[in-house]
Amino acid sequence: MDYQTARGGWCTMIEREDLEPPQEIQWCPGCGNFGILRALKQAVMELSNSKHEFFLVSGIGQSGKTPHFINLNGFHTLHGRAIPVATGAHVANTDLKVIVHGGDGDLLGEGLGHLMHAARRNVNITCLLHNNGVYGLTKGQYSPTSPHGFVSKTSPPPTGVPMDPVNPLGVALIGGATFVARGFAGDIKQLTELIVDAVKHPGFALVELMQPCVVFNPKWGWDFFRERVYKLEDDYDNKSKTAALEKSFEFGDRIPTGVFYKQEKTHFVQELQLPEGRLRDHTNDREEIQNIIDEMLV
Amino acid sequence: MDLSFNIGGAAGQGINTIGDLVAQVFVKNGLYTFTIKDYMSRVRGGYNFTQIRVSDEHVHAPVHGVDVIIALTKDAIINQRDRLVEGGVIIFDESLGFEECERCHLPLPLEETAEEVGGNVRMMNAAALGALLSVLKMPISLAENALADIFGDKGESVVEGNVKVARTMYEEVKGELAQRCDHDFSSVEKGPSEDRLLVTGNQAIALGAMAANLKWISAYPMSPSTSLFQFIIQNSRRLQIGGLQTEDEIAGLNMALGASHTGARSMVTTSGGGFSLMVEAVGLAGMAEIPIVIYNAQRPGPSTGLPTRTEQGDLLFMLHSSQGEFPRIMIAPKDPLEAYYLTKDAFRLADKFQVPVMVLGDQHLAEFTMNIPRIEIGEVDMDRGKLAEKPDKPYKRFKVTDDGVSPRAFPGDEEVVVAASGNTHNEFGHISEDPDNRNAMVEKRLAKLPWILDELEEPKVYGDKKADYTLLTWGSTWGAAYEAMQRLSQDGISINQLHFAYLYPLKTETLKEIWEKAKKLISVEQNATSQFAKLVRMESGLSVDEEINKYDGRPMTPEWIIKQLEEVGVQ
Ligand SMILES: Cc1ncc(C[n+]2csc(CCOP(=O)(O)OP(=O)(O)O)c2C)c(N)n1
Ligand code: SF4
Repeated sequence: MDYQTARGGWCTMIEREDLEPPQEIQWCPGCGNFGILRALKQAVMELSNSKHEFFLVSGIGQSGKTPHFINLNGFHTLHGRAIPVATGAHVANTDLKVIVHGGDGDLLGEGLGHLMHAARRNVNITCLLHNNGVYGLTKGQYSPTSPHGFVSKTSPPPTGVPMDPVNPLGVALIGGATFVARGFAGDIKQLTELIVDAVKHPGFALVELMQPCVVFNPKWGWDFFRERVYKLEDDYDNKSKTAALEKSFEFGDRIPTGVFYKQEKTHFVQELQLPEGRLRDHTNDREEIQNIIDEMLV
Repeated sequence: MDLSFNIGGAAGQGINTIGDLVAQVFVKNGLYTFTIKDYMSRVRGGYNFTQIRVSDEHVHAPVHGVDVIIALTKDAIINQRDRLVEGGVIIFDESLGFEECERCHLPLPLEETAEEVGGNVRMMNAAALGALLSVLKMPISLAENALADIFGDKGESVVEGNVKVARTMYEEVKGELAQRCDHDFSSVEKGPSEDRLLVTGNQAIALGAMAANLKWISAYPMSPSTSLFQFIIQNSRRLQIGGLQTEDEIAGLNMALGASHTGARSMVTTSGGGFSLMVEAVGLAGMAEIPIVIYNAQRPGPSTGLPTRTEQGDLLFMLHSSQGEFPRIMIAPKDPLEAYYLTKDAFRLADKFQVPVMVLGDQHLAEFTMNIPRIEIGEVDMDRGKLAEKPDKPYKRFKVTDDGVSPRAFPGDEEVVVAASGNTHNEFGHISEDPDNRNAMVEKRLAKLPWILDELEEPKVYGDKKADYTLLTWGSTWGAAYEAMQRLSQDGISINQLHFAYLYPLKTETLKEIWEKAKKLISVEQNATSQFAKLVRMESGLSVDEEINKYDGRPMTPEWIIKQLEEVGVQ
């Protein structure tokens, strides 16, 4: 099926083969990232954008490798820094659907400040937080979302992790994100919907993805989540930030999934009042620069 | 004619305003000026001064000896007295209660006149200006015209008030008081009048960036780079340049890299401490071959160092910043005019070679003001370097080529998939740990260096090429060294100056020629360890014979350099 692109050209529906991984996937068998990648592919096919309009920007970690495993524009950047890179890319070309992939270490450790500020700016990008409660790539240290008491290579017994975890959804909400959601790698259908909605949302969208790391955090295995996750009730009102914040603290025997908060408001690029079209194609008005200079003449 | 004034007082007293006023008066009348602001890192109080040099020929540096001091506090008198040249005079407010003990002391009712004649203490600036012109025996009309221009948009009554105050003070000083100063510039002829653009290095760099079609700037304030960032942001709406004050420098550079990778010419501005935070992202630019212009207005370090002072202490740090090996370009402008052109060139080089280009300024260059000719913007040079017209499928963002530069496509281009990575990657931009690929990629990147070197300009020789002594300089110390060299030459000493604007990769041809001829090669650097001399040795195997270093945070003066040269036997 053909449809029109943002630049006015025509493009063809993305087929699964178009997204075939350019590189052999290197995640452990059973890793939650496989489910996330499937949902991402599904979402990309469902969104009516052409292939060149997607841009995945990732940090460092297992999740950071995502752009190498799907055939789309991608930039695998630095640990914790995907959000600023993504912000710059988005500003330079707002036709792009910019999707960030980062782990809990990446986005809530090194990158916590950037996450808060991107949320505050309401940058129109989607941020997918692969939360496995542990550092996968560096082989098993605790992460910012590891539970209090979690025993890992860097949090030995008897205390384990000596502090409470970060609440990712709460952080995004307090930051000012206008779309905040949670999904589970084991529910690809819901996850796909969440990613589609997040990408369509005109503002900063954070989706926390519960991602079992079967090697370093077996406690948060598939069954752990299957037994606990539930979808937010039909009467849940996702327009209320305080309700969403309260809900974000519910993480224990029951783990809610779905859209916690959704609100439209002017986003970053609209606030900046940048030129019509793509910033990358714009040329500074020569006469205006000359005027600036001439105003400085004494 | 070569005059210098120091205006000293506490922060918040409007010293800079008088400084700007005085400079504008002379520039409007066709003379050349050079102004520095010497200030402490505090908003109120302390002791600050502005120095203005005025001449009928170009002036390039601050000087030690001054002709007139305008002192607004007692501290200012005490701190500056020793710098007065013979026949000079100190103008100060009589309320300071300083004894009128010497010929050079000129207590005046500046504040009182401002209040009584102008109705506003703030007009003390105009009072000082009137007194100054009187002391120099210059016509008061100079002030009248300038005040009309400067305060024109504040309304007629403000202009009138200021003019009245200036004239009153002028008349009061005329005659007996003015005779205390030996200067007489009543017959100074107007010099050329076309050089009327009064700018700082930071402003000139900003203009260069605008002219180069800068489309994105992200930065975090840090003296002395802040004024540049502010200048661009203030004009960003007019030119539709995207800009953001980020949460930190880390975000600043990473954001700019995102914008540049996606096709917008981008830059960041900072000072050493901020650059420290950016270093990891410098490596990302190196690995992902993203063009970027990084401006570091150096100040004395380490750590927070001296925030409002000057140094050239970050050269080797920037040269070696980031882990791993990859090419970069380093440029250091000597003055505002050159800063404009070199900044434009920085963007061209960044695009052409897809490398980080570092522009090294320092507080001195960032903040001194001089008048230069009106810059003609002309056509924008939008040579983006090698672009992928018909990209391969699949597209190789990091295609191995002879010159190491791969044709660029941008994420968002139709029918292309652009992949990139900060990890070692293959030609497609995907992770690779293959040893042959690793070698190929390291070599591909480093292959750019000889081509870059071809593109850069040789250093300039000032003075007689065959002189016995050669001063080796880079960046903003050019001015003081140039004037020192000229003065010594006039005294019959065989001396020249070899000055580098492009620092890395280092051009060595002219250097070798000069080195062969010179009896003594003397490095002059605003740092303690002669970093550029080290770079020269590293790249050319040539060593300097003497090293002159200043690291007290204050810019060099020609007198200071001459004294140091005497100490190393230049005569
Ligand atoms: C600046 C920096 N510090 C540390 C590392 C090492 N490192 C790589 S991934 C990682 C943590 C990964 O954890 P997470 O973000 O949760 O991702 P996961 O691998 O679990 O998906 C660390 C510490 C790095 N690459 N860069
Ligand atoms: S270590 Fe954990 S997170 Fe990494 S690939 Fe294996 S299962 Fe996935």
